[in-house]
Amino acid sequence: MNNFRIIKRLLTLLFFAAVFISFTKIKESPNSDSSIVKISFINTVKNSRIVLNDSVYTNPFEEKYTISKLRYYVTNVSLNNGSKSFMEKNSYHLIDESKEESQSFTFNVPAGNYNSIQFLLGVDSLHNVSGAQTGDLDPTKDMFWTWNSGYVMAKMEGNSPSSTLVNNKYEFHIGGYAGPYNVIKKVQLDFHNKGLEVAAGKTIEIMINADINTWWSDANDIKIAEHANITSPGKFALAISDNYAKMFSIEKIISE
Amino acid sequence: MKGKITILIFLFVSVFVSVLDAGKRKEIASPYIENTTPLKFIIPDGWPKPPTNIFSNNPLTEEGFQLGRKLFYDGRLSKDGNFACASCHQQFAAFATYDHDLSHGFHDQFTTRNAPPLFNLAWKKLYHWDGGINHIEVQALSPMTASNEMAENVDSVLLKLRKDTAYVRMFKSAFGSNLVNSQRMLKALAQFVGTLVSANSKYDKVKRGEDKFNSAEAHGYELFKANCAACHKEPLFTDNSFRNNGLTLNKYLKDYGRMRITGDPADSLKFIVPSLRNVSVTFPYMHDGRLYSLYKVVDHYTSGIQTGPTLDSVLRRPIVFSDAEKNDLVYFLHTLKDTSFLNNKRFAQP
Repeated sequence: MNNFRIIKRLLTLLFFAAVFISFTKIKESPNSDSSIVKISFINTVKNSRIVLNDSVYTNPFEEKYTISKLRYYVTNVSLNNGSKSFMEKNSYHLIDESKEESQSFTFNVPAGNYNSIQFLLGVDSLHNVSGAQTGDLDPTKDMFWTWNSGYVMAKMEGNSPSSTLVNNKYEFHIGGYAGPYNVIKKVQLDFHNKGLEVAAGKTIEIMINADINTWWSDANDIKIAEHANITSPGKFALAISDNYAKMFSIEKIISE
Repeated sequence: MKGKITILIFLFVSVFVSVLDAGKRKEIASPYIENTTPLKFIIPDGWPKPPTNIFSNNPLTEEGFQLGRKLFYDGRLSKDGNFACASCHQQFAAFATYDHDLSHGFHDQFTTRNAPPLFNLAWKKLYHWDGGINHIEVQALSPMTASNEMAENVDSVLLKLRKDTAYVRMFKSAFGSNLVNSQRMLKALAQFVGTLVSANSKYDKVKRGEDKFNSAEAHGYELFKANCAACHKEPLFTDNSFRNNGLTLNKYLKDYGRMRITGDPADSLKFIVPSLRNVSVTFPYMHDGRLYSLYKVVDHYTSGIQTGPTLDSVLRRPIVFSDAEKNDLVYFLHTLKDTSFLNNKRFAQP
């Protein structure tokens, strides 16, 4: 009986502590002194914007190719300054070349100076093992493997005369969230000069260029003639992810 | 503001109360959705706690369970309307396919593996013979979209469901709004299949002191404990590990099991250890259904083991049974049949 009373008292204390903490958090939330920051992605080959299906590109091995599908996940986006960082809540974005509205997103960032943006290229391992998701992680987005659970982190498909597959297709479905073939890449892009000043009333857009021609080489050589079909986790998927991890650069920051 | 505080306090109280309750009653807790009838997932006496709580982000409710049950028995989840989940997972066969080595799918195609029975799934971390599925909620995507099974795509299933006002009503009562999406559909299915618990066989009754083995069964149980229980661990009758049990490679299917998922040659020919509960109604046996009777299975372990680099170490020493012992072992295996589960109306077609 006595024990029960102690537990009761402890629980009451815990309620009030929890209630207090939850209100302190609300007070901290960035409403008054913050700004909306827009992040946009521009997918290019040799500095020109990709045109799906119709444009023919040449990779570093002089192999010609077209792109019919290009999608990748940008998740856990944060703006940082030294040890301080601000992460977007529920930060999961599927960038899809065929859907313009998917190529940018906005979030509210507290005022301050930031010197880099960080994100994951791919879906964090936790969300690969947590069951049915929604939003951009919805399995109907055709980026989830049904026979070997896990997300396709990045996908590119098209045609190339160098491919020996049916209809000269090539298909890269790059995934794998654990073990030696984990393809999730942490990307950090630094803001040069004075960094990025976020303040109330400002309009800020960070434009990020993605050079798709990096997929074929950089860390590892991937020739279409040899590897036109990489659609399961493994060493070739890892090789491509090591290449495309370096595809991003800051194109421009608009701040007015 | 005051309303908010009241709600917060209410939430904390309910969380603490459920934590206290869970300690007493041994069940796995899940959060609460307003205006629903919460369901309890009771862990049978003497059973281990599930390794993970598969309902931690999927509050178990009567409404969610009933929606999942309707979906499970609905052919509209397949392209041509002919293949419900239940067409390969029949209750009288403990939700395996009765008397079929491989099951039938879209356009007269065969599946590539023997349909596993569905029960006690809450104690598993990985699903399918090769463990390729890492969460119960995403399992249904696999048969639904496989071209030789239900051959459908999820968007078109959702279109069909949205056209049916009965479904829209059920989604609303289970999840609070009319939204019909893949996440809700998959969570409802997980509530149905995840709560299929079989724990009331003669074996269980003997363990609870409500029944007695006859002498053949009792002898079979001793043989089982000495020779089989290392992999088919009580009380679930599986340790859910992946093992090569000495079957030759199927030359048509060329199925290397776990290696397909991990890419690791050390996993070649390994498959998940199936539970032996209800084993008398889940014939034929093995991942490709190659063995038609329990006697054939016992014979495999005494004289059919194919050695190879990944053969499980416990099968490297010979298992020897006399004919009389084989009979007794099979008698014991029959005591694992749970008739109340096979006939439970709550799990039947609504």
